[in-house]
Formats: sequence, structure tokens, C-alpha cells
Amino acid sequence: MHSFEFMEPTTLAEALRLLATHEDDACVFAGGTALLLAMRQRMMVPEIVVSLGRLHDLRTIGWTPAGGLRIGALARHGDVARSELVQQHYPMLAGVAAGLANPQVRNQATIGGNLCYADPATDPPSCLIAMGAEVTIAGPDGERRIPMRTFSVDFFTTALEPGEILTGILLPPPDPQRLGHYRRHLRTAAEHRPVANVALTARRVGSAWDEVRLVVGAATPSPQSMTRAEAYLAGRAITLDVAAEAASLVAEELAPISDGRGDAAFRRQVVRAATRRIVAEAAGLDWKETAA
Amino acid sequence: MTVSVVGQPMPQVSAQEKVQGRAVYAGDIKMAGMLHAKLLRSPHAHARILSIDTSAAEALPGVKVVVTGDDVPRRRWGVHHKQQNVLACGLVRFVGEEVAAVVATTEAVAQDALELIRIEYEELPAVLDIDAALSEGAVPVHPEGNVVDEINIARGDVEAGFAAADIVHEEVYTTHSQYPGYMEPMATVAATDGNGRLTVWTSTQSVFLARQRLAEALDRPISSIRVIQATVGGGFGAKIVEERSSVIAAFLATKVDRPVRLNLSRLDDIQSGCFSVPMRIRLKMGMTRDGTITAKDVTIEAECGAYAGLSPEVMLVTAMRSDNMQRLENVRSHARMIHTHTMPRGAFRGFGGTQMSFALNSHMSTMADMLGMDPFDLHRRNAIRTGDLSVHGWEIGSCGLPECLDQVSTALDWTARRARNTRCGVLRRGVGMAAVMHVSGNRTMGNWDGSTVVLKVNEDGRVVILTAESDMGQGANTMLTQICAQELGIPVSHVTVQAPDTDNSPYCLGSLASRVTINAGNAMLGAARQARSQILEAAAQKLGCEAADLTIADGVVHSGKNPNLFAPLPEICRYHIFRHGGEGILVRHTHDPKTVMMNKEHYGNIAPAYSFAAQALEVEVDTETGQVRVVETYLSDDCGKAINPLTVHGQSAGAAVQAVGWTLYEELQMEGGRVMNGNLADYTMPTAEAVPTMHSDIVETDEPNGPLGAKGASETAILPGAPAIANAVYDAIGVRITDLPITPEKILAALAAKEQPHA
Repeated sequence: MHSFEFMEPTTLAEALRLLATHEDDACVFAGGTALLLAMRQRMMVPEIVVSLGRLHDLRTIGWTPAGGLRIGALARHGDVARSELVQQHYPMLAGVAAGLANPQVRNQATIGGNLCYADPATDPPSCLIAMGAEVTIAGPDGERRIPMRTFSVDFFTTALEPGEILTGILLPPPDPQRLGHYRRHLRTAAEHRPVANVALTARRVGSAWDEVRLVVGAATPSPQSMTRAEAYLAGRAITLDVAAEAASLVAEELAPISDGRGDAAFRRQVVRAATRRIVAEAAGLDWKETAA
Repeated sequence: MTVSVVGQPMPQVSAQEKVQGRAVYAGDIKMAGMLHAKLLRSPHAHARILSIDTSAAEALPGVKVVVTGDDVPRRRWGVHHKQQNVLACGLVRFVGEEVAAVVATTEAVAQDALELIRIEYEELPAVLDIDAALSEGAVPVHPEGNVVDEINIARGDVEAGFAAADIVHEEVYTTHSQYPGYMEPMATVAATDGNGRLTVWTSTQSVFLARQRLAEALDRPISSIRVIQATVGGGFGAKIVEERSSVIAAFLATKVDRPVRLNLSRLDDIQSGCFSVPMRIRLKMGMTRDGTITAKDVTIEAECGAYAGLSPEVMLVTAMRSDNMQRLENVRSHARMIHTHTMPRGAFRGFGGTQMSFALNSHMSTMADMLGMDPFDLHRRNAIRTGDLSVHGWEIGSCGLPECLDQVSTALDWTARRARNTRCGVLRRGVGMAAVMHVSGNRTMGNWDGSTVVLKVNEDGRVVILTAESDMGQGANTMLTQICAQELGIPVSHVTVQAPDTDNSPYCLGSLASRVTINAGNAMLGAARQARSQILEAAAQKLGCEAADLTIADGVVHSGKNPNLFAPLPEICRYHIFRHGGEGILVRHTHDPKTVMMNKEHYGNIAPAYSFAAQALEVEVDTETGQVRVVETYLSDDCGKAINPLTVHGQSAGAAVQAVGWTLYEELQMEGGRVMNGNLADYTMPTAEAVPTMHSDIVETDEPNGPLGAKGASETAILPGAPAIANAVYDAIGVRITDLPITPEKILAALAAKEQPHA
């Protein structure tokens, strides 16, 4: 690793100033799990590393009945998983955080760092999009707030402008009628990064659903909303056949990546299986009896 | 002997220093004036080095020396085939081959300097797999051609055996390369002294073989080199004689005349480490209706990569070892070791046994189905037994194979679980089993497989053991300690085993071929008994009684006849020094087993004992995603008397996990000879979460040639995992995977092909 200067601002304003001053020479250090690997392999060679570790306000997780949940960008995955607020009001998110990667990563990596790095092979983005999350971004000209679905742009690319810092994630107040399910698929049990994941939320209306959000992550460069399946599932009584049909629609619409963890055809098959299962599961059906 | 120490489960004698982080690995060593080295590797599979410009690197502040193939000795080193120089000379033969090294004040400076070395290559056509290497007009990796070794073995009348068979089955199996995955990547510190002697602290399974290799590669007298074993964080065969970084580090120290440390990062270690030998095995077997094997015909093509190393010895094991597990008469093997322009492969836990075990046990299971027999019964029918002379002349002094089979089938509740499978639903379960054998010792080098232990009893009655058999984490030092403590009647905490050191330790071959427990254990037993009799003689003199009446327990010598006659060991040991002209008790015992070198026909009893194992397990196959999960596994190891059952269970569990990794999780991905997943995030070894419910048991046969009945453990246990999983997958979904690893893609493709047989 090359030597670098390690800066530890104590206010957000100071951190933004440092980024503005050093521009491309600087990079932000949150949990460091991805950054340090990149630096050790000299894939990134920053001269200035701006640590956000002293911005304690960015670590907090807060909730109000009217405003919903605010997760500071520096909350670690383990913090999210263990938060009673998250567990109580957003169990889907708590579950995703509790199963992410491995214990070492959960106890060091931050949710904000995860979103900003935008490595496709991870869980939070698709989950947050399906939950209707927004993110807050601080920049030289103040704070802006954008939907999570527009934050994830592409492979390792976000809507973050140079000099900006992701400060938090906002989730709308929980709706007792909204169901939420999540499935992560690891290629093998020894993998720590998902080859695909599927997040599903929907409003229960009688025995049917509406406002269906079905988002695939990890199998695509950035999370992909499965609009055809969303439309298909809305207003329909869910059966195993409906689940299988939704899975087929997703498999058709999906634009998967190919890499060492699996080619496009494999990912399509995995996403099809995961979709069938998550839809069945959300409807209280047993997917184990028949194959798609 | 009041307390039995042998047979008691106890933590390793090194456990405390390791968990406290105080064990000193080579990478922990710091010396005054120590410099750091980094290696530049070839980006090409096959290329001529036209020129190397090191001037910019040398000009970098902090750089002490930059060396290339032009600077290294012309003498080439290798096991049998002398093929390698310290650094590539003029030609590179695989991606990752070391072409230059930088020594600098820090690792970071050395790394920076690597980027300043300019090398002009002329790329040459490369052969990257067995088929390319064997094709007409293939580019030779070495002038001698691409077939570097060939073995032909034939016994009995194979054709008559097939003619007598009721069923004959033939299949081709392929096995892939596995990274040894030890926790400690290679690390070495080397230093010269004012007299020009070279001392090397390194992570090795054998200090004497390391020294011999250094003498050859550096072209200097053996005795001008001293090798000291630092704490070893696992070896699995790769640290016997094939890794290259310790050789380079030692050479660099001679160039700068200052201590040099070469620590490989994990990424570096994967590029230069010793993966196992991939093989293609064609197996044909004939059986009568009752399951008796009448003939076996094996053809093997194995890939050693650019340099042969130990691969020919590995292949010999593949070609014939498993024949000795069964009562066979008609067997034939033809095996070829083939060079390619890829990383050198070689020794790996099991030493060629895993490859053949996969083929043989897959085959046995398939043929059991053809006969309508339970595979356990088929194995029992053919299993070799205690007292047998095998087809290749191996004398089976103890064989617990039938007991291993019984243990695992009972433990897994084999019959009931097997009957439960309905082959329907999305998640399907199946059971599989495998049975294996391994050697304990192997007479291959200089008609010698002996081991020597020096035992020094201090004036306080505590002892120091000198040996050059390596404890690489497998428990050799604990085994020696237990035998010694028991024989001398002292607590295990009074025994210290010195780290191997070529200047001070007796000559030993080191930790390979599961030879240490049986050979060093016997030497230890002899040495301890010799020391004990000297202690008792001295005590008899001092106490004025017969030595035969005396015994030692809890560090006190006492008479069995007169309770008033006793003396604590320190008293006797000091007495011995004072009454023997200053001579303390210092004994040396050598044990060389009564084995023979194989003759030219590969016949003869090469090992003092043979170990056996069996495994049965259950898997669950996800028919939609192709994922295979091992649910539960039982492994039973016949290691003779288990000197430390805790270690044996640890070895069995570790081996079973390594086998699961090889079968399901680990896959070396190469493109154009380049490793594409050379890191532990992408080359996925089993983690704690990826491990099934594990059980192991021990069959304690009484081995007549073993110390207190013991044989080797640990290598045997890695052998059955892969075929047991493949057999269980077949049981679950009716799909037979014959090429490892068993990936989700292969499962899905095979399921699809099965559903559309005409597609």
C-alpha cells in the first residue's frame, strides 16, 4: 500500500471542505472494508483519505411514527441488524443486514459505504429500493434528497457527484398492510457475496396485492425493478402457478451480468427460482412441493 | 506408569502460544538491518525474455538490489527432474513464474521498484491443457517433450479377468486442482553471517529436504546452510520441497549479505503456491454377479504444469495405491504425467489418493447399482483384511476397513435414510459413501524411511526432544510429548520439543507420507525407554536396590517392593551427572521400519503400516438452483491406536471440510494460463458457515509395527469426501457427475439433459 494522509474531520462541513480542496486526490473512508482491499492491491491510490469516523451523528438510527426511519450512513450492518427500532418496524431490513456477507464485514462495513461503493454483489440496494427508501446527500451547496432507485446508477456507479457525501437513508413509516420479503442466493454455501437477490414488497388488499415492488439485485449491474412482473402480480390472487408465471416474466425481463460467479444463463435461472419462491412465500404457499 | 497419557485427548502442546499470538512464524521474525523482498512474475504463459532493464528500479531510493535470471546460479534444481533455476532464465513457462526480485528497505519500496522493471518479452505459443500438450506438433514445454513421466503396472491377467466378469463398466473421471489453503502463506527470513554461512528460517515440512534443495539451487555445500523451522501455519504437502519463495529469499540474502525477509501475500501465494495435480482417469472394472472384482484397468493423464516437482510420485500413488485396498488379482495401470505452460502442481494432502478415490468410489457405487447391491456390501466383499498380502506386495499388518464401514453406515443410519429418498420435490436428499486407504510411511528416498529422536534429560528431570520431523500444525510435537511423558512417568508439561534445526537436530526426512507418528513415534518410544532404563540404573545405584524393582510415576522413582525407597527425578538426574563424569542422560534412538523400496515393477512392501477410512454423508440438492449442500457427514478413521484422539478428530473434521471445498466450493479459474480468481473472495474455501454437521469416529486397530499400535492419521481422511458427495448427489437426483468440482451449473445442465433425453 502507498502511504497516504489520513484526515479525520469532526464536522460534516469540514469533511466536505476537505473533499472540495483535494478533489480527485481524496477519497472517503467509512468502514474501509472495500477501500482497504482496493488500496492494498493498488487499484486505488488516494493521497488523502478522509475518514468519516468522527462524524458521530452519522452513526445514529432514529425513528418517528410520522417520519419513519432514518439510518445514518455510518451505521454498520451489524448496528442495523441489532437495532430494536429496525427489528420492530422494518424486520425485512433487519434480516437482510443480519445475513449480509460475514460477521467481520457486518461489524465493520457501513450501510452508506456499501451503497456508495455500488458493487453489484451485495444486498442492501435492492432491498432498500423495494422498501421505497430515499437517501440524503450533503454537498457544497447543501443537502439533497433522492429516491434510492435513482441513486444506484450502474456497475460501481452512483448518482453521487464529486465532493458529495451520502449522509443517511430514509424509510417511509411502516404500513401494517405492506408485506416485505427478501431472498439472497449464494452460488455455494462458501460464498459471502450473493450471485442474485430478490426483494418483494406489496400492499395487501383483501387476498390480493397492489403497489407491488419486485427488485432484483446482484444479478444485474445495478438493481433492476421487474415492472412486468410487478404489473402482473398486482390485483391477482397468488397461487403457485401465479408465482411461477411471475418468475418467468422476471427471467425474461432480466438483463443479467456474467462473471466468475456465474454466467447470464445461470443467473437468470437462479433469479427465476428465487422469484418463484419469494412470491410463494409472501403468499404463505409452500414452494418446495413443485418445481417451476 | 500410573497415568496413561497416550490415548488421552489433549490440546496441542503449541495451543497456548498460538492462541496468545506468541508463536513465532517466519513472517514475524525481525532482525537488525533486515531488508524486504518482492517478486516480479511473468504475465505470459510462454515467452522468451529478450531484455530486462532494471536501471530505473535500482535508482529508486531504498532499493538495495534487483536480480534477474542473469544473476542466479546456472545449476538447476528439482526433485528428480532438474528443471528450475532460482529465477526464470531466458524463458518463462507459466503465468506467475518469478522473473525478477527486488530487495529494498521496505516492502512498499520493493513493490514500487517492481513497477519500474522493464521486460521485453517475445510471446511464444503455449500449451495450456493436457489435450493441447499431447496434440500433434505441440510446443514442448521442455526440450525433452511434454510427457515427463510414464508408469506401466500390470499384474495377473487383466483380459482373462474381464472375460470372467458378469458386468463391466467403464467411465472417465476428471479431477481439478486445489489450493492447499494453509492459514500461513509462505514466509522466509534468510541471513548470511561473517563467515559466509547462510541461515534460513522458513515455513517448511522438512528442514533437511529444504537444505538439500537450497544447496542445489544456490549451488553451494549443504553444510554452508542452516535451516531452522519457524512455526508453520499449515503445509498440506505444498511446503515439502516444491514452493519456490524460500529458495529465492535465501539467494537474495547471499546477494545483499544482509537479512532478507520474503513474505508472500495471499495473492502472491496463490500464484506461486503448489496446487494439487489435476487428472483425467479412465477406469474400467469387471465384476462377477456376487460383486467380486475380477479386473481393473486404469489410464491416467495428469498435468504437472511447467515443472514436474513431486508430481510423478503423486501420479504413482494414483496409479496403484487404491489397488491395495481390495483383494485384487488382475490390475493394469498406464499413467502419463504431462507438462503444460501452467503453474507447477504437486504434493497435496492425500498425495494422489484423492484423484483415484473419486474415480474408484464413484465406480464402485455405480457398479453396486448395476448389481442391485448396497455399496457398503460391495466394499465389504472386496475389502482387504488384516494379514493379507496385497496385489502389489503390501503386507497389511492391520486393517480396520470393515469396522470403518460398519461404523459410518450405522452412524448415518444408512439403510433408513437411503430408503427415505423419493426423488421428488424441489429439494432432494440423498446419501453417499466411500472407502479409502493410505500409507503410514513410504520408503522412497535412498532406501531409508527412518527417524531419529535425541532425548536429553535435564538435571531437574524434565526433558528436551530433538527431532527434525516437522510439526506443521498436525500435532507431531504433541504425539512425541505424549509418548515421552508416558514412558518416563513425567507430566506432559515437563517435555519440550525443539523446533527442527539442521545444525542441531538429527537428520530426518520430515512430515510427508503420514510417516511421522509411525516412524518418529517408534524412535521416541525407543529413546524414552533407553532414558528410562538409564534413570532406573542410576536410581538403583543411589537407592541401593535392583533397577528391575523400580518404576517412575509423577516424576518420582520408587520401588515396587519397598515403599521407603524412592527419589524424585531431579535427585536421580543430578546424581547421574555427578557420578558419570558430568554425563547427563542423553540418548539417541533411530527407528527404520522393515520396509522395502518398490522394485522396478512397483512391487514391494513400502510402508510399515496402512491406514483406512470410510465416510458416509447426506446431501440436499436444490433442483432449481443446482446448489448442493452437505447436510451431515460421518467419517471413520482407522489410524491404529489414537495417541491423541482430539487431534485425530480434528484431522478428520479438517480433512472432511477440505474435501467438501474441493468437491463443491473451490474452483481454480484460468484463462490463457492466467489465474482469474486468485484471491480468497473469489476462490472460495469453506467457511464456518459452509460446513455441515460433522461427526468422526476412530477405529483403533492394533498395528503391530506402530508405536503402541499407532498408525498415521489425517491424509486418509481427505480421500473419501469427494466421491461420497458425488454418490449422494446421484442418490438424490439420479445424476452422475464425473468431473469435479460439482458446480450448480453442472447439476442444472445434467438435470435438464435428463428431462429431455432426446434433446
